[in-house]
Amino acid sequence: MEKRLIKKNTLTGIAGKMADEFKVWAPVKQEENVIFSPLEKNEQPFFAYLNSKNAPKQIFFPHTETLMKYTSTPKGMVFAAEENKADKTVLFGVRPCDAHSFALLDMLFDQEKYKDQYYINKRNNTTVITLACVEPPYATCFCTSVDGEPVDDKGADILITDIGDNYLVEFVTPKGEKLANYFGETKADAAAETKKKEIAEKAKQAIKSKIPAHEIKPILDVNFENPIWATIHGKCLACGTCTWMCPTCHCFDISDEVKGNDGVRIRSWDSCMFPLFTKETSGHNPRTSQKERWRQRVMHKFKYYVDNFNAIACVGCGRCVMSCPVNLDIRKVVEDIAKIK
Amino acid sequence: MENIESKLREEAKRLLLEKRADIIVGYEKGTLPLTATPCFVSTEAEADKLVYNELCTQNLAKYVHDLITAHKNSQKRVKPEDRKKKVIGVVARGCTTRSLIIHLQERQYERDEVYIIGVPCEGYVDKKNLAKALDSAEIIDGNLDGLQLKIKTAAGDKTIAVSDVIAPNCAVCRFNNPIISDIMVGTPAPVKNPATEYDKISEFEKKDIAERWDYFTKEMEKCIRCNACRQACPSCYCPTCFAEQSQPQWVGIGEDKSDTQVFQCMRLFHMVGRCVDCGSCISVCPMGVDLRNYLKKIDKDCWELFGTRAGSSMEEMPPLGKFSEQDKEDFIYNP
Ligand code: SF4
Ligand code: SF4
Ligand code: SF4
Ligand code: SF4
Repeated sequence: MEKRLIKKNTLTGIAGKMADEFKVWAPVKQEENVIFSPLEKNEQPFFAYLNSKNAPKQIFFPHTETLMKYTSTPKGMVFAAEENKADKTVLFGVRPCDAHSFALLDMLFDQEKYKDQYYINKRNNTTVITLACVEPPYATCFCTSVDGEPVDDKGADILITDIGDNYLVEFVTPKGEKLANYFGETKADAAAETKKKEIAEKAKQAIKSKIPAHEIKPILDVNFENPIWATIHGKCLACGTCTWMCPTCHCFDISDEVKGNDGVRIRSWDSCMFPLFTKETSGHNPRTSQKERWRQRVMHKFKYYVDNFNAIACVGCGRCVMSCPVNLDIRKVVEDIAKIK
Repeated sequence: MENIESKLREEAKRLLLEKRADIIVGYEKGTLPLTATPCFVSTEAEADKLVYNELCTQNLAKYVHDLITAHKNSQKRVKPEDRKKKVIGVVARGCTTRSLIIHLQERQYERDEVYIIGVPCEGYVDKKNLAKALDSAEIIDGNLDGLQLKIKTAAGDKTIAVSDVIAPNCAVCRFNNPIISDIMVGTPAPVKNPATEYDKISEFEKKDIAERWDYFTKEMEKCIRCNACRQACPSCYCPTCFAEQSQPQWVGIGEDKSDTQVFQCMRLFHMVGRCVDCGSCISVCPMGVDLRNYLKKIDKDCWELFGTRAGSSMEEMPPLGKFSEQDKEDFIYNP
């Protein structure tokens, strides 16, 4: 597909122009955090960022989403489906690991057995523009251990790579190509592509944090009852920050909020780290302690997802590593599991 | 601060060997540069991982409560005569001992179920202050050299004095040495600057209602309702938090702004006479919500109206646990 070159100072302008036609989500600076947020009129995106504090998954899978509404009338309940409308959206400047997470979430929300229209609608209406990591942003990045790369187009419709003097813009999907007119006229030459390959290789080598993510799958297959599970969770606060920040965590809760005669059914994020997550109506909780909850977190990412979709449900962004308030480091957990004989 | 690590490890080994504690809650080196993290030591060999320095952030009293509660629950189905007591050892500085006092006064466990290894405190390094001092450059490596942080960042090397980046609560701490302990490791540290502890709050109080409300709503909008603040707080130990009750449901779980505000207000009000200003809730908050502004206001009111400071003495009754005819109450009618 097509490749073009753009000047390095044009990115903000392009995002601004797109904002006339689309809802543009981009990284913005909010006090000390960089987060993804829809650009307001004349708001400047912050492209000099490392990665965003929160994962951009909320664009397709919001923290709280109305599924349907109902009203109690003298003649009985009247139900109304939520409109489920999705604006034409551009997600501008996600990192390759986060774009990779969309490919992983698609496997779940858009599969043969089940199609989640709420997710799919937003996903279909959104063009994902990835900004490659020519230098890995953090020492905690470990994308190369989980099938990712710092310069990678997985999950992207357009990939932008800084190749020194210019940005190389690659249109990865037909959806991406539709936005080609925003990116000038200059066609990329062979030299630009060679340059990009070199940069991609260098960035890959620069990832120093490595975990045996694939290696632990056969170990997890046979070690559901291993004593190691009693040694991981002790300091865990069960705060769920790791799952809130994670681009691939996708568990949710469905509840009704009722005011007077009107009710809404909402879906909101939930977390395997919360005791309430598995508590049953009877009061019984099959996962009795944080031990079982942490086992679930590891199993889901490195075994169940592999069993179900042949993919690891972690993209190596390192957010959970950096955000865990008590430094419960999933990299160390995986390493320790790899040592089980 | 003097290096007390070797003494601390020795003491921990002795406690385990003499069976005076079944498990010891302390700190170990973290996996990220310049971090320490809570750890649990139940064998002598494990005691060698204990560290204690200005990178130790969390108030460990939370874990004492967790461990004792879990143990008691596990004993429920054991015949009374066969029940065993479990003693939790804990590395405790001033604020940690204040939280232990609150637990003891609130009858959460008996004094002989906890063995307190008191340690002095010079204040801990605040992640946000450190990030500011480093212009948010990523820390690649670093070590603590006396009271100096020697840091390698993505933007070059830097040396920063610990005292320049300690947490705001530590900078004005009145109780930086253990209030109660079974043994003290190290010599008491000089008291900080408590005379200024309410300065910022007094400034804030002077603002008009609209301005205060704007600040409150702005801060609460950052909150993602992860509950890390509650989970880290030693005083938040309810088996089921009001925020998770469903019959009746006090607060919604969605993103409605007012639900978040109500959750925070209710948690704050549950902290009257129970917040020890350890800063744990603030240090764990992933979004940097300014909770301390409100916690400190509650602390100030509690001091000015009832003359008590949370967990500051074993003998003094907590403000919500006592009544006197002289108690101020006019503020209820004329706020
Ligand atoms: S598990 Fe951690 S490193 Fe992996 S994708 Fe989730 S937040 Fe990122
Ligand atoms: S962020 Fe850390 S403390 Fe919180 S639930 Fe995850 S592992 Fe536990
Ligand atoms: S509210 Fe925050 S500062 Fe106060 S005791 Fe709890 S964790 Fe410590
Ligand atoms: S830790 Fe911070 S973001 Fe999480 S619930 Fe508490 S105030 Fe909100």
